[in-house]
Amino acid sequence: MHIPDGFLATPVWAGLDATAAPAVAYLARRAGRNFDEGRIPMLGVMGAFVFAAQMINFPVGVGISGHLLGGALLAQTLGPSAAAVTMTAILAIQALVFQDGGVLALGANVWNMALIGVLAGYLPLGALGCGRRRLAAFLGGALSVLAVAVVAIAELLVSGVRMPGPVLAVTMGLFFVTALIEGAITAAVVGAIGAVNPDWTSRPQAPLARKAMFGLGACAFLLATGGIFLASTAPDGLERLAGRIGLGERARVLLAAPMPDYEARWFSSAALGKAAAGMAGLVLIFVLTALLGKWLIRTRRKE
Amino acid sequence: MHHVTLDRWSRGESVLHRRDARVKVLALAAYLVAVATLDAGQQLALVACGALLAAGLLASRLPAGALLARAAIVLPFSGVFAIFSVLGGQPGRAVELVEKSYLSACAVLLVAGTTPLARLMGALESLHVPRFVVLVVQFIYRYLFVVSEQAQHMRLAALSRGEKGSFRAAAGALAVLFARSEARAEAVYRAMAARGFSGRIPQLGTPQLHPADAAFLIAAVGAAAIIRIAAGVFS
Repeated sequence: MHIPDGFLATPVWAGLDATAAPAVAYLARRAGRNFDEGRIPMLGVMGAFVFAAQMINFPVGVGISGHLLGGALLAQTLGPSAAAVTMTAILAIQALVFQDGGVLALGANVWNMALIGVLAGYLPLGALGCGRRRLAAFLGGALSVLAVAVVAIAELLVSGVRMPGPVLAVTMGLFFVTALIEGAITAAVVGAIGAVNPDWTSRPQAPLARKAMFGLGACAFLLATGGIFLASTAPDGLERLAGRIGLGERARVLLAAPMPDYEARWFSSAALGKAAAGMAGLVLIFVLTALLGKWLIRTRRKE
Repeated sequence: MHHVTLDRWSRGESVLHRRDARVKVLALAAYLVAVATLDAGQQLALVACGALLAAGLLASRLPAGALLARAAIVLPFSGVFAIFSVLGGQPGRAVELVEKSYLSACAVLLVAGTTPLARLMGALESLHVPRFVVLVVQFIYRYLFVVSEQAQHMRLAALSRGEKGSFRAAAGALAVLFARSEARAEAVYRAMAARGFSGRIPQLGTPQLHPADAAFLIAAVGAAAIIRIAAGVFS
Protein backbone atom coordinates (compact mmCIF):
# COMPACT_ATOMS: atom_id res chain seq x y z
CA MET A 1 0.00 0.00 0.00
CA HIS A 2 3.07 2.25 -0.13
CA ILE A 3 2.89 4.44 -3.23
CA PRO A 4 6.32 4.96 -4.84
CA ASP A 5 7.45 8.18 -6.53
CA GLY A 6 6.47 8.61 -10.15
CA PHE A 7 2.90 7.31 -9.82
CA LEU A 8 0.98 10.32 -8.58
CA ALA A 9 0.18 13.31 -10.76
CA THR A 10 1.93 16.52 -9.69
CA PRO A 11 -1.17 18.27 -8.25
CA VAL A 12 -1.96 15.13 -6.24
CA TRP A 13 1.41 14.60 -4.57
CA ALA A 14 2.08 18.31 -4.16
CA GLY A 15 -1.33 18.92 -2.63
CA LEU A 16 -1.07 15.95 -0.29
CA ASP A 17 2.49 16.90 0.77
CA ALA A 18 1.42 20.48 1.41
CA THR A 19 -1.53 19.41 3.56
CA ALA A 20 0.16 16.49 5.33
CA ALA A 21 2.95 18.71 6.68
CA PRO A 22 0.77 21.02 8.81
CA ALA A 23 -1.44 18.07 9.84
CA VAL A 24 1.56 16.15 11.14
CA ALA A 25 2.99 19.28 12.77
CA TYR A 26 -0.32 19.81 14.57
CA LEU A 27 -0.51 16.18 15.70
CA ALA A 28 3.12 16.27 16.81
CA ARG A 29 2.41 19.32 18.95
CA ARG A 30 -0.69 17.62 20.32
CA ALA A 31 1.11 14.36 21.04
CA GLY A 32 3.97 16.35 22.55
CA ARG A 33 1.54 18.03 24.92
CA ASN A 34 -0.05 14.77 26.01
CA PHE A 35 3.25 12.92 26.17
CA ASP A 36 5.98 14.45 28.28
CA GLU A 37 9.52 14.20 26.92
CA GLY A 38 10.00 10.92 28.69
CA ARG A 39 7.40 9.25 26.56
CA ILE A 40 9.30 9.83 23.33
CA PRO A 41 11.37 6.65 23.76
CA MET A 42 8.04 4.85 24.19
CA LEU A 43 6.82 5.99 20.77
CA GLY A 44 10.15 5.03 19.23
CA VAL A 45 10.25 1.57 20.74
CA MET A 46 6.60 0.99 19.83
CA GLY A 47 7.36 2.01 16.25
CA ALA A 48 10.21 -0.51 16.29
CA PHE A 49 7.73 -3.05 17.69
CA VAL A 50 5.46 -2.57 14.67
CA PHE A 51 8.39 -3.24 12.33
CA ALA A 52 9.36 -6.35 14.31
CA ALA A 53 5.78 -7.59 14.65
CA GLN A 54 5.69 -8.09 10.89
CA MET A 55 8.09 -11.00 11.30
CA ILE A 56 5.61 -13.07 13.28
CA ASN A 57 3.34 -15.05 11.01
CA PHE A 58 -0.31 -15.66 11.76
CA PRO A 59 -1.66 -18.81 10.12
CA VAL A 60 -5.06 -17.95 8.64
CA GLY A 61 -5.87 -20.95 6.53
CA VAL A 62 -4.42 -23.74 4.46
CA GLY A 63 -0.91 -22.60 3.67
CA ILE A 64 -1.79 -18.92 4.00
CA SER A 65 -0.41 -16.70 6.70
CA GLY A 66 -0.72 -13.01 7.37
CA HIS A 67 1.05 -10.53 9.56
CA LEU A 68 0.09 -7.49 11.55
CA LEU A 69 0.11 -4.16 9.72
CA GLY A 70 -0.20 -2.30 12.98
CA GLY A 71 -1.95 1.02 12.33
CA ALA A 72 -5.03 0.15 14.35
CA LEU A 73 -3.04 -1.53 17.12
CA LEU A 74 -0.92 1.60 17.55
CA ALA A 75 -4.00 3.82 17.49
CA GLN A 76 -5.73 1.77 20.16
CA THR A 77 -2.75 1.47 22.49
CA LEU A 78 -0.92 4.80 22.14
CA GLY A 79 -3.91 6.99 21.31
CA PRO A 80 -4.60 8.50 17.88
CA SER A 81 -2.26 11.49 17.79
CA ALA A 82 0.77 9.63 19.15
CA ALA A 83 0.00 6.73 16.82
CA ALA A 84 -0.21 9.09 13.82
CA VAL A 85 3.20 10.58 14.66
CA THR A 86 4.71 7.12 15.17
CA MET A 87 3.23 5.92 11.87
CA THR A 88 4.62 9.01 10.09
CA ALA A 89 8.06 8.23 11.49
CA ILE A 90 7.73 4.59 10.36
CA LEU A 91 6.76 5.72 6.84
CA ALA A 92 9.73 8.12 6.72
CA ILE A 93 12.12 5.31 7.63
CA GLN A 94 10.51 2.98 5.10
CA ALA A 95 10.87 5.61 2.37
CA LEU A 96 14.46 6.59 3.22
CA VAL A 97 16.01 3.31 4.31
CA PHE A 98 13.93 0.54 2.77
CA GLN A 99 12.77 2.19 -0.50
CA ASP A 100 9.23 1.25 0.49
CA GLY A 101 7.17 4.19 -0.74
CA GLY A 102 8.47 7.36 -2.37
CA VAL A 103 9.82 10.54 -0.80
CA LEU A 104 7.65 12.96 -2.78
CA ALA A 105 4.80 10.51 -2.29
CA LEU A 106 5.45 10.57 1.46
CA GLY A 107 2.67 13.12 1.94
CA ALA A 108 0.24 10.78 0.20
CA ASN A 109 1.42 7.79 2.21
CA VAL A 110 1.23 9.80 5.44
CA TRP A 111 -2.32 10.82 4.60
CA ASN A 112 -3.31 7.26 3.77
CA MET A 113 -1.64 5.29 6.51
CA ALA A 114 -0.67 7.68 9.29
CA LEU A 115 -3.70 9.96 9.30
CA ILE A 116 -6.67 8.20 7.67
CA GLY A 117 -5.54 4.67 8.53
CA VAL A 118 -4.83 5.49 12.16
CA LEU A 119 -8.04 7.47 12.59
CA ALA A 120 -10.07 4.68 10.99
CA GLY A 121 -8.34 2.27 13.36
CA TYR A 122 -9.23 4.43 16.33
CA LEU A 123 -12.77 5.27 15.29
CA PRO A 124 -14.45 2.07 16.59
CA LEU A 125 -12.73 2.42 19.98
CA GLY A 126 -13.86 6.02 20.16
CA ALA A 127 -17.40 5.01 19.26
CA LEU A 128 -17.70 1.80 21.26
CA GLY A 129 -15.67 2.94 24.25
CA CYS A 130 -13.51 0.58 26.25
CA GLY A 131 -16.38 -1.78 27.05
CA ARG A 132 -16.05 -3.99 24.00
CA ARG A 133 -12.31 -3.95 23.40
CA ARG A 134 -12.10 -6.93 21.11
CA LEU A 135 -14.93 -5.88 18.86
CA ALA A 136 -13.45 -2.39 18.69
CA ALA A 137 -10.05 -3.89 17.88
CA PHE A 138 -11.49 -6.08 15.13
CA LEU A 139 -13.44 -3.25 13.55
CA GLY A 140 -10.47 -0.91 13.91
CA GLY A 141 -8.06 -3.28 12.19
CA ALA A 142 -10.46 -4.06 9.37
CA LEU A 143 -11.53 -0.47 8.82
CA SER A 144 -8.03 0.91 8.83
CA VAL A 145 -6.97 -1.47 6.04
CA LEU A 146 -10.14 -0.77 4.02
CA ALA A 147 -9.76 2.99 4.41
CA VAL A 148 -6.09 2.92 3.40
CA ALA A 149 -6.85 0.76 0.37
CA VAL A 150 -9.73 2.92 -0.78
CA VAL A 151 -7.86 6.22 -0.53
CA ALA A 152 -4.66 4.83 -2.05
CA ILE A 153 -6.54 3.42 -5.04
CA ALA A 154 -8.55 6.62 -5.40
CA GLU A 155 -5.31 8.65 -5.44
CA LEU A 156 -3.82 6.41 -8.12
CA LEU A 157 -6.96 6.54 -10.26
CA VAL A 158 -7.26 10.31 -9.98
CA SER A 159 -3.59 10.54 -11.00
CA GLY A 160 -4.41 8.75 -14.23
CA VAL A 161 -2.86 5.38 -13.33
CA ARG A 162 -5.02 2.90 -15.16
CA MET A 163 -6.29 -0.32 -13.66
CA PRO A 164 -8.57 -2.56 -15.73
CA GLY A 165 -11.95 -3.10 -14.09
CA PRO A 166 -11.53 -6.80 -13.30
CA VAL A 167 -8.09 -6.17 -11.78
CA LEU A 168 -9.52 -3.41 -9.62
CA ALA A 169 -12.32 -5.72 -8.49
CA VAL A 170 -9.82 -8.46 -7.61
CA THR A 171 -7.60 -5.95 -5.81
CA MET A 172 -10.56 -4.73 -3.77
CA GLY A 173 -11.44 -8.32 -2.93
CA LEU A 174 -7.89 -9.01 -1.77
CA PHE A 175 -7.90 -5.87 0.35
CA PHE A 176 -11.20 -6.97 1.85
CA VAL A 177 -9.69 -10.31 2.88
CA THR A 178 -6.59 -8.51 4.18
CA ALA A 179 -8.86 -6.25 6.19
CA LEU A 180 -10.60 -9.22 7.82
CA ILE A 181 -7.23 -10.81 8.63
CA GLU A 182 -5.89 -7.55 10.07
CA GLY A 183 -9.05 -7.21 12.15
CA ALA A 184 -8.72 -10.72 13.50
CA ILE A 185 -5.02 -10.26 14.30
CA THR A 186 -5.59 -6.89 15.95
CA ALA A 187 -8.40 -8.31 18.07
CA ALA A 188 -6.32 -11.32 19.12
CA VAL A 189 -3.28 -9.21 19.96
CA VAL A 190 -5.29 -6.60 21.86
CA GLY A 191 -6.93 -9.43 23.82
CA ALA A 192 -3.55 -10.99 24.60
CA ILE A 193 -2.02 -7.64 25.56
CA GLY A 194 -5.00 -7.00 27.84
CA ALA A 195 -4.32 -10.35 29.50
CA VAL A 196 -0.70 -9.37 30.14
CA ASN A 197 -1.52 -5.91 31.48
CA PRO A 198 -5.03 -4.44 31.26
CA ASP A 199 -3.64 -0.92 31.69
CA TRP A 200 -2.12 -0.91 28.22
CA THR A 201 -5.33 -1.44 26.34
CA SER A 202 -7.77 0.64 28.33
CA ARG A 203 -6.09 3.98 28.21
CA PRO A 204 -8.98 6.41 28.55
CA GLN A 205 -9.15 9.43 26.28
CA ALA A 206 -10.58 12.79 27.17
CA PRO A 207 -14.20 12.91 25.93
CA LEU A 208 -13.63 16.11 23.96
CA ALA A 209 -10.61 14.68 22.16
CA ARG A 210 -12.63 11.60 21.35
CA LYS A 211 -15.36 13.69 19.84
CA ALA A 212 -12.91 15.68 17.73
CA MET A 213 -11.17 12.53 16.55
CA PHE A 214 -14.50 10.97 15.74
CA GLY A 215 -15.54 13.93 13.63
CA LEU A 216 -12.24 13.90 11.75
CA GLY A 217 -12.53 10.19 11.15
CA ALA A 218 -16.06 10.50 9.84
CA CYS A 219 -14.96 13.28 7.46
CA ALA A 220 -12.12 11.08 6.21
CA PHE A 221 -14.55 8.29 5.50
CA LEU A 222 -16.99 10.49 3.68
CA LEU A 223 -14.14 11.85 1.56
CA ALA A 224 -12.93 8.35 0.79
CA THR A 225 -16.42 7.23 -0.14
CA GLY A 226 -16.84 10.23 -2.38
CA GLY A 227 -13.47 9.56 -3.97
CA ILE A 228 -14.21 5.98 -4.84
CA PHE A 229 -17.65 6.81 -6.15
CA LEU A 230 -16.16 9.52 -8.30
CA ALA A 231 -13.37 7.29 -9.52
CA SER A 232 -15.56 4.34 -10.38
CA THR A 233 -19.15 5.13 -11.13
CA ALA A 234 -18.80 8.46 -12.85
CA PRO A 235 -16.10 8.41 -15.52
CA ASP A 236 -17.23 11.82 -16.72
CA GLY A 237 -16.79 13.18 -13.24
CA LEU A 238 -13.26 11.85 -13.10
CA GLU A 239 -12.42 13.30 -16.48
CA ARG A 240 -13.87 16.63 -15.52
CA LEU A 241 -11.99 16.64 -12.24
CA ALA A 242 -8.80 15.63 -14.02
CA GLY A 243 -9.34 18.47 -16.47
CA ARG A 244 -10.11 20.98 -13.78
CA ILE A 245 -6.99 20.30 -11.76
CA GLY A 246 -5.07 20.17 -15.02
CA LEU A 247 -3.51 16.76 -14.69
CA GLY A 248 -2.57 14.48 -17.51
CA GLU A 249 -4.48 16.58 -20.02
CA ARG A 250 -1.68 16.56 -22.53
CA ALA A 251 -0.73 12.98 -21.82
CA ARG A 252 -4.28 11.80 -22.28
CA VAL A 253 -4.82 13.64 -25.52
CA LEU A 254 -1.47 12.40 -26.77
CA LEU A 255 -1.86 8.79 -25.75
CA ALA A 256 -5.54 8.06 -25.59
CA ALA A 257 -6.58 9.79 -28.80
CA PRO A 258 -6.28 6.65 -30.94
CA MET A 259 -8.66 4.81 -28.61
CA PRO A 260 -10.96 7.40 -27.12
CA ASP A 261 -13.42 4.88 -25.72
CA TYR A 262 -10.93 2.65 -24.04
CA GLU A 263 -10.76 4.29 -20.64
CA ALA A 264 -14.49 4.81 -20.48
CA ARG A 265 -15.02 1.13 -21.08
CA TRP A 266 -12.93 0.23 -18.04
CA PHE A 267 -14.69 2.62 -15.83
CA SER A 268 -18.16 1.57 -16.75
CA SER A 269 -17.34 -2.10 -16.23
CA ALA A 270 -20.12 -3.67 -14.21
CA ALA A 271 -17.84 -5.58 -11.86
CA LEU A 272 -15.92 -2.45 -10.93
CA GLY A 273 -19.07 -0.47 -10.36
CA LYS A 274 -20.43 -3.17 -8.09
CA ALA A 275 -17.19 -3.50 -6.15
CA ALA A 276 -16.95 0.20 -5.58
CA ALA A 277 -20.59 0.55 -4.69
CA GLY A 278 -20.19 -2.35 -2.28
CA MET A 279 -17.19 -0.75 -0.65
CA ALA A 280 -18.84 2.61 -0.38
CA GLY A 281 -21.98 1.02 1.00
CA LEU A 282 -19.94 -0.82 3.59
CA VAL A 283 -18.22 2.36 4.66
CA LEU A 284 -21.50 4.25 4.84
CA ILE A 285 -23.12 1.50 6.89
CA PHE A 286 -20.20 1.62 9.28
CA VAL A 287 -20.35 5.38 9.66
CA LEU A 288 -24.07 5.20 10.30
CA THR A 289 -23.79 2.44 12.88
CA ALA A 290 -20.88 4.22 14.54
CA LEU A 291 -22.88 7.44 14.72
CA LEU A 292 -25.87 5.55 16.09
CA GLY A 293 -23.67 3.84 18.69
CA LYS A 294 -22.18 7.15 19.69
CA TRP A 295 -25.64 8.69 20.05
CA LEU A 296 -26.89 5.71 22.07
CA ILE A 297 -23.92 5.94 24.42
CA ARG A 298 -24.50 9.64 24.92
CA THR A 299 -28.22 9.30 25.62
CA ARG A 300 -27.57 6.41 27.98
CA ARG A 301 -24.99 8.46 29.82
CA LYS A 302 -27.48 11.29 30.27
CA GLU A 303 -30.06 9.03 31.84
CA MET B 1 20.96 -7.78 8.18
CA HIS B 2 19.47 -5.57 5.51
CA HIS B 3 20.32 -2.29 7.20
CA VAL B 4 23.99 -2.96 7.76
CA THR B 5 24.79 -2.30 4.09
CA LEU B 6 23.25 1.16 4.10
CA ASP B 7 24.87 2.05 7.43
CA ARG B 8 28.27 0.94 6.15
CA TRP B 9 27.78 2.87 2.90
CA SER B 10 26.82 6.02 4.73
CA ARG B 11 30.03 5.99 6.76
CA GLY B 12 32.21 5.88 3.64
CA GLU B 13 34.37 8.64 2.33
CA SER B 14 33.80 10.60 -0.88
CA VAL B 15 33.00 14.04 -2.24
CA LEU B 16 29.32 13.31 -1.75
CA HIS B 17 29.75 11.92 1.80
CA ARG B 18 31.50 15.12 2.86
CA ARG B 19 28.69 17.43 1.72
CA ASP B 20 26.43 18.97 4.33
CA ALA B 21 23.29 16.91 4.91
CA ARG B 22 20.97 19.91 4.44
CA VAL B 23 22.45 20.59 1.02
CA LYS B 24 21.95 16.96 0.02
CA VAL B 25 18.32 17.02 1.17
CA LEU B 26 17.62 20.14 -0.90
CA ALA B 27 19.40 18.72 -3.94
CA LEU B 28 17.40 15.49 -3.60
CA ALA B 29 14.14 17.44 -3.39
CA ALA B 30 15.00 19.43 -6.53
CA TYR B 31 15.95 16.27 -8.41
CA LEU B 32 12.81 14.39 -7.37
CA VAL B 33 10.57 17.29 -8.34
CA ALA B 34 12.28 17.56 -11.73
CA VAL B 35 11.79 13.85 -12.40
CA ALA B 36 8.21 13.81 -11.12
CA THR B 37 7.05 16.75 -13.24
CA LEU B 38 8.44 15.45 -16.55
CA ASP B 39 5.96 14.10 -19.07
CA ALA B 40 5.99 10.73 -20.77
CA GLY B 41 7.02 12.29 -24.06
CA GLN B 42 10.16 13.91 -22.66
CA GLN B 43 12.41 10.87 -22.92
CA LEU B 44 15.55 12.91 -23.56
CA ALA B 45 15.07 14.78 -20.29
CA LEU B 46 14.62 11.52 -18.40
CA VAL B 47 17.85 10.27 -19.94
CA ALA B 48 19.55 13.48 -18.78
CA CYS B 49 18.20 12.87 -15.27
CA GLY B 50 19.65 9.37 -15.44
CA ALA B 51 23.01 10.84 -16.46
CA LEU B 52 22.88 13.27 -13.54
CA LEU B 53 22.22 10.37 -11.21
CA ALA B 54 25.10 8.40 -12.73
CA ALA B 55 27.41 11.36 -12.11
CA GLY B 56 26.32 11.43 -8.46
CA LEU B 57 26.82 7.69 -8.19
CA LEU B 58 30.37 7.98 -9.55
CA ALA B 59 31.14 10.82 -7.16
CA SER B 60 29.77 8.85 -4.20
CA ARG B 61 32.08 5.87 -4.82
CA LEU B 62 29.31 3.55 -3.64
CA PRO B 63 29.11 0.09 -5.24
CA ALA B 64 26.97 0.99 -8.26
CA GLY B 65 25.70 -2.51 -8.97
CA ALA B 66 24.56 -3.09 -5.40
CA LEU B 67 22.83 0.29 -5.23
CA LEU B 68 21.03 -0.22 -8.54
CA ALA B 69 19.94 -3.69 -7.41
CA ARG B 70 18.64 -2.37 -4.09
CA ALA B 71 16.63 0.35 -5.80
CA ALA B 72 15.10 -2.34 -8.02
CA ILE B 73 12.80 -3.15 -5.09
CA VAL B 74 10.30 -0.68 -6.59
CA LEU B 75 10.25 -2.46 -9.95
CA PRO B 76 7.72 -5.21 -9.15
CA PHE B 77 5.14 -2.59 -8.12
CA SER B 78 5.73 -0.28 -11.06
CA GLY B 79 6.08 -3.28 -13.36
CA VAL B 80 2.55 -4.44 -12.57
CA PHE B 81 1.10 -1.02 -13.28
CA ALA B 82 3.25 -0.73 -16.41
CA ILE B 83 1.66 -3.95 -17.68
CA PHE B 84 -1.80 -2.47 -17.04
CA SER B 85 -0.79 0.63 -18.98
CA VAL B 86 0.47 -1.44 -21.92
CA LEU B 87 -2.76 -3.45 -21.91
CA GLY B 88 -4.64 -0.18 -21.83
CA GLY B 89 -2.85 0.99 -24.94
CA GLN B 90 -0.51 3.46 -23.21
CA PRO B 91 2.99 2.03 -23.71
CA GLY B 92 4.53 5.49 -23.23
CA ARG B 93 2.92 5.79 -19.83
CA ALA B 94 4.23 2.33 -18.88
CA VAL B 95 7.82 3.30 -19.69
CA GLU B 96 7.35 6.57 -17.81
CA LEU B 97 6.09 4.84 -14.64
CA VAL B 98 9.02 2.43 -14.52
CA GLU B 99 11.63 5.10 -15.30
CA LYS B 100 10.33 7.67 -12.84
CA SER B 101 9.89 5.30 -9.93
CA TYR B 102 13.29 3.69 -10.49
CA LEU B 103 15.18 6.97 -10.93
CA SER B 104 13.54 8.40 -7.80
CA ALA B 105 14.37 5.31 -5.73
CA CYS B 106 18.01 5.43 -6.91
CA ALA B 107 18.27 9.11 -6.00
CA VAL B 108 16.86 8.55 -2.50
CA LEU B 109 19.20 5.62 -1.99
CA LEU B 110 22.15 7.72 -3.16
CA VAL B 111 21.43 10.34 -0.49
CA ALA B 112 20.60 7.79 2.23
CA GLY B 113 23.73 5.86 1.29
CA THR B 114 26.03 8.85 1.67
CA THR B 115 24.48 10.38 4.81
CA PRO B 116 24.13 8.64 8.19
CA LEU B 117 20.47 8.67 9.24
CA ALA B 118 21.21 10.75 12.36
CA ARG B 119 22.75 13.46 10.14
CA LEU B 120 19.86 13.27 7.72
CA MET B 121 17.39 13.73 10.58
CA GLY B 122 19.42 16.62 11.98
CA ALA B 123 19.22 18.25 8.56
CA LEU B 124 15.46 17.72 8.40
CA GLU B 125 15.12 19.27 11.84
CA SER B 126 17.02 22.38 10.79
CA LEU B 127 14.73 22.50 7.72
CA HIS B 128 11.79 22.82 10.15
CA VAL B 129 10.46 19.29 10.24
CA PRO B 130 8.84 19.04 13.74
CA ARG B 131 11.41 18.00 16.33
CA PHE B 132 9.01 15.49 17.85
CA VAL B 133 8.72 13.58 14.57
CA VAL B 134 12.48 13.68 14.00
CA LEU B 135 13.09 12.32 17.50
CA VAL B 136 10.62 9.48 17.04
CA VAL B 137 12.30 8.57 13.72
CA GLN B 138 15.68 8.47 15.46
CA PHE B 139 14.35 6.29 18.26
CA ILE B 140 12.61 3.89 15.90
CA TYR B 141 15.76 3.52 13.83
CA ARG B 142 17.81 2.97 16.98
CA TYR B 143 15.58 0.18 18.33
CA LEU B 144 14.28 -1.25 15.07
CA PHE B 145 16.94 -3.90 14.81
CA VAL B 146 17.03 -4.65 18.54
CA VAL B 147 13.31 -5.40 18.68
CA SER B 148 13.40 -7.23 15.34
CA GLU B 149 16.18 -9.44 16.65
CA GLN B 150 14.08 -10.16 19.70
CA ALA B 151 11.13 -11.13 17.50
CA GLN B 152 13.44 -13.39 15.53
CA HIS B 153 14.66 -15.08 18.75
CA MET B 154 11.09 -15.63 19.90
CA ARG B 155 10.17 -17.17 16.56
CA LEU B 156 13.18 -19.51 16.70
CA ALA B 157 12.40 -20.47 20.29
CA ALA B 158 8.80 -21.25 19.39
CA LEU B 159 9.92 -23.36 16.42
CA SER B 160 12.34 -25.35 18.54
CA ARG B 161 9.62 -26.03 21.10
CA GLY B 162 7.74 -27.74 18.27
CA GLU B 163 5.32 -24.88 17.71
CA LYS B 164 2.90 -25.83 14.93
CA GLY B 165 1.85 -22.24 14.44
CA SER B 166 -1.54 -21.41 15.83
CA PHE B 167 -3.27 -18.05 15.62
CA ARG B 168 -3.55 -17.73 19.40
CA ALA B 169 0.09 -18.60 19.95
CA ALA B 170 1.16 -15.91 17.48
CA ALA B 171 -1.08 -13.37 19.21
CA GLY B 172 0.45 -14.35 22.55
CA ALA B 173 3.94 -13.98 21.13
CA LEU B 174 3.11 -10.47 19.91
CA ALA B 175 1.65 -9.55 23.29
CA VAL B 176 4.86 -10.71 24.98
CA LEU B 177 6.89 -8.73 22.44
CA PHE B 178 4.71 -5.71 23.18
CA ALA B 179 5.25 -6.13 26.92
CA ARG B 180 9.01 -6.46 26.46
CA SER B 181 9.08 -3.38 24.21
CA GLU B 182 7.15 -1.44 26.82
CA ALA B 183 9.60 -2.54 29.52
CA ARG B 184 12.50 -1.66 27.24
CA ALA B 185 11.08 1.79 26.58
CA GLU B 186 10.79 2.41 30.33
CA ALA B 187 14.37 1.27 30.90
CA VAL B 188 15.61 3.36 27.99
CA TYR B 189 13.85 6.42 29.30
CA ARG B 190 15.19 6.00 32.82
CA ALA B 191 18.72 5.45 31.57
CA MET B 192 18.48 8.52 29.33
CA ALA B 193 16.93 10.66 32.06
CA ALA B 194 19.76 9.63 34.38
CA ARG B 195 22.22 10.88 31.76
CA GLY B 196 20.46 14.20 31.42
CA PHE B 197 18.26 13.69 28.35
CA SER B 198 16.44 16.95 27.77
CA GLY B 199 14.25 15.95 24.85
CA ARG B 200 16.89 16.70 22.25
CA ILE B 201 19.48 14.41 20.71
CA PRO B 202 22.68 16.44 20.49
CA GLN B 203 24.51 16.56 17.17
CA LEU B 204 28.24 15.94 17.14
CA GLY B 205 29.73 19.21 16.00
CA THR B 206 27.77 22.09 14.55
CA PRO B 207 27.16 21.61 10.84
CA GLN B 208 28.70 24.43 8.84
CA LEU B 209 28.16 25.31 5.23
CA HIS B 210 31.44 25.30 3.35
CA PRO B 211 31.94 26.94 -0.05
CA ALA B 212 32.04 23.44 -1.54
CA ASP B 213 28.57 22.75 -0.13
CA ALA B 214 27.19 25.90 -1.69
CA ALA B 215 28.82 25.02 -5.01
CA PHE B 216 27.34 21.53 -4.85
CA LEU B 217 23.90 22.91 -4.07
CA ILE B 218 24.03 25.36 -6.97
CA ALA B 219 25.33 22.70 -9.35
CA ALA B 220 22.81 20.01 -8.37
CA VAL B 221 19.73 22.21 -8.14
CA GLY B 222 20.83 24.12 -11.25
CA ALA B 223 21.28 20.93 -13.26
CA ALA B 224 17.86 19.63 -12.22
CA ALA B 225 16.24 22.99 -13.01
CA ILE B 226 17.96 23.26 -16.40
CA ILE B 227 16.84 19.75 -17.39
CA ARG B 228 13.28 20.52 -16.32
CA ILE B 229 13.13 23.91 -18.07
CA ALA B 230 14.80 22.63 -21.23
CA ALA B 231 12.31 19.77 -21.37
CA GLY B 232 9.48 22.27 -21.13
CA VAL B 233 10.90 24.54 -23.81
CA PHE B 234 11.81 21.90 -26.39
CA SER B 235 8.82 19.63 -26.13
